[in-house]
Amino acid sequence: MSVSPTAAAAPSAGAADWRSSPPANDYTVDELMIVALSECFVDGDQACNGMASFIPVTAFQLALRTHAPDLVWLAGAVGLDPQPDRVPASTLEAPLWRNSVMYVEQYGDFWNFALNGRWLQKFCVGAAQLDKFGNGNNSVIGAEYHKPRVRLPGTAGLGDMGSIGKQLYYWNPNHNPRAIVDRVDFVSCAGWLGGGDERRALGLAGGPELVITNLCVMDFEPTSRHMRLKSLHPGISIEQVQAATGFEVLVPDGAIGLTRVPTEHEVHLIRHVIDPDGMRLREFGK
Amino acid sequence: MDKVTTIEEAAALVPDGATVAIGGLSMNSAPMAMVRELVRQAKRDLTVVGIVAGMPVDWLIAGGCVKTVVSGLVSFEGLGLAPNFRAMVQAGTVGIEEYSEHLLICRLQAQAYNLPFMPTKAGLGTDVLALHPDTLRQEVDPTTGEHYVACTRLPVDVALVHAHAADARGNVRVEPKLLWMDSEIVNAAAVTIATVERVVPGREFTDAPERTTYPRFMIHAVVEAPYGAFPTSLFPNYGHRSAFFDDYSTAARDPQTFKAFFAERVTGPPTWRDFLDANGGAGALLDIARRTA
Repeated sequence: MSVSPTAAAAPSAGAADWRSSPPANDYTVDELMIVALSECFVDGDQACNGMASFIPVTAFQLALRTHAPDLVWLAGAVGLDPQPDRVPASTLEAPLWRNSVMYVEQYGDFWNFALNGRWLQKFCVGAAQLDKFGNGNNSVIGAEYHKPRVRLPGTAGLGDMGSIGKQLYYWNPNHNPRAIVDRVDFVSCAGWLGGGDERRALGLAGGPELVITNLCVMDFEPTSRHMRLKSLHPGISIEQVQAATGFEVLVPDGAIGLTRVPTEHEVHLIRHVIDPDGMRLREFGK
Repeated sequence: MDKVTTIEEAAALVPDGATVAIGGLSMNSAPMAMVRELVRQAKRDLTVVGIVAGMPVDWLIAGGCVKTVVSGLVSFEGLGLAPNFRAMVQAGTVGIEEYSEHLLICRLQAQAYNLPFMPTKAGLGTDVLALHPDTLRQEVDPTTGEHYVACTRLPVDVALVHAHAADARGNVRVEPKLLWMDSEIVNAAAVTIATVERVVPGREFTDAPERTTYPRFMIHAVVEAPYGAFPTSLFPNYGHRSAFFDDYSTAARDPQTFKAFFAERVTGPPTWRDFLDANGGAGALLDIARRTA
């Protein structure tokens, strides 16, 4: 493992006893989302990140320093097992892959890892618009593609990673009815497409697994592939989630669980060790 | 043959209407000195290929050089949206041919390998395919029944890349070797122009041939342009200049302000050295050198 456990230790809790650290009283929602995302990545996984991915890169580093010391992280699809001293202003630039053990010299090599289905099986997707079947849009807002209301940055790697068998983990720090919609204006990233068997019929493995927002965690009902509430963040109601969503979210029978609260140790790691400059807050417009 | 030339003469290799592929990725290694010269020479009707691009595409659009952008993504990443790209595409003034990253790589590889198409499963299920009935075909392999996308050739007239060093014959070194997708555009292009931080004696290449990245027969012109990726970064020499991105985005909120900014800070300075002076000079260069130290 490339991360020094002593450097990661909180004053009150060593890396060895991260499990026993008590729930934090003063956590914030960015930290809650990071912890929820970090739990999706375990030893044996290989993770990589794209651009403006402050929450994923913080989550990977948190996982490495707690439950997943053998997680493989390919920073920016370039640097293997990096040891950045902070989260930098770009998640596709050199300071992120400081002290890596290897550079992937060109993206052609990265695609050799990514396309064959054996490696890098999970991928975190940030998209401006996400729909009830987990399709993502980062291209245009508006009904007419060539006369868009808003021209967004573009498909880039999302159009690839959605189609090549990856399990997709969406994060969205601003859960609102314009961001989580009934149907995306443009499918930049293939999710469950029209729902049901449509994705599988096209021969696509993988697919959307979870959506982690500032209000809740959602998964997808296995038959219809419709987005479904999985856990509520503390203090958030089902009604608040419904009001913030552009379609009716499925709600499973029985009590809805609460998203796990970050521990004091996790909060310490995020704030003071991994992301001391608070780059993650850029995703919240701060 | 001595391939070292001036930036003015190298830019003259790019005719109006050409398909020009821009190297670098997002905030990294973009050939900004050469892009600035294309704007200064008022190139017109360019088709600009930038797989994952930002500032260079936005400069060319601001300069009125672009007919169509062929791209996977154009943005300033965490520093915001590319303002001229966004405004001009929304207005319909500049065309957009949007692909995913790997669909574009496959089109460039089909060109490089002289194949009618390159297959991939990337992009299946997305709306990108329907945008390009002439260049992408969704097909089913008759033997296995697997769906794939056939990506047709993407001819590139000129590729522009920025690198660490070259010799006079046109051998180029990117060191450490982080090429992003530059090799894909160089392999596909009829002509490649390399700007480099330093032109070095050929002996530096013969002493360590394993460190050569592009062979001289693939490189048609070499221009020495120190800090030639500014305001993007060149690892490990210097980081991106975020103050420039901030000033640029702030100016772009008002068209008149931006016009003055673009003239004063980008196109106006007569030489690349003057450009660097207009954007912070030695102080700025020391700052960006320190950031990736």
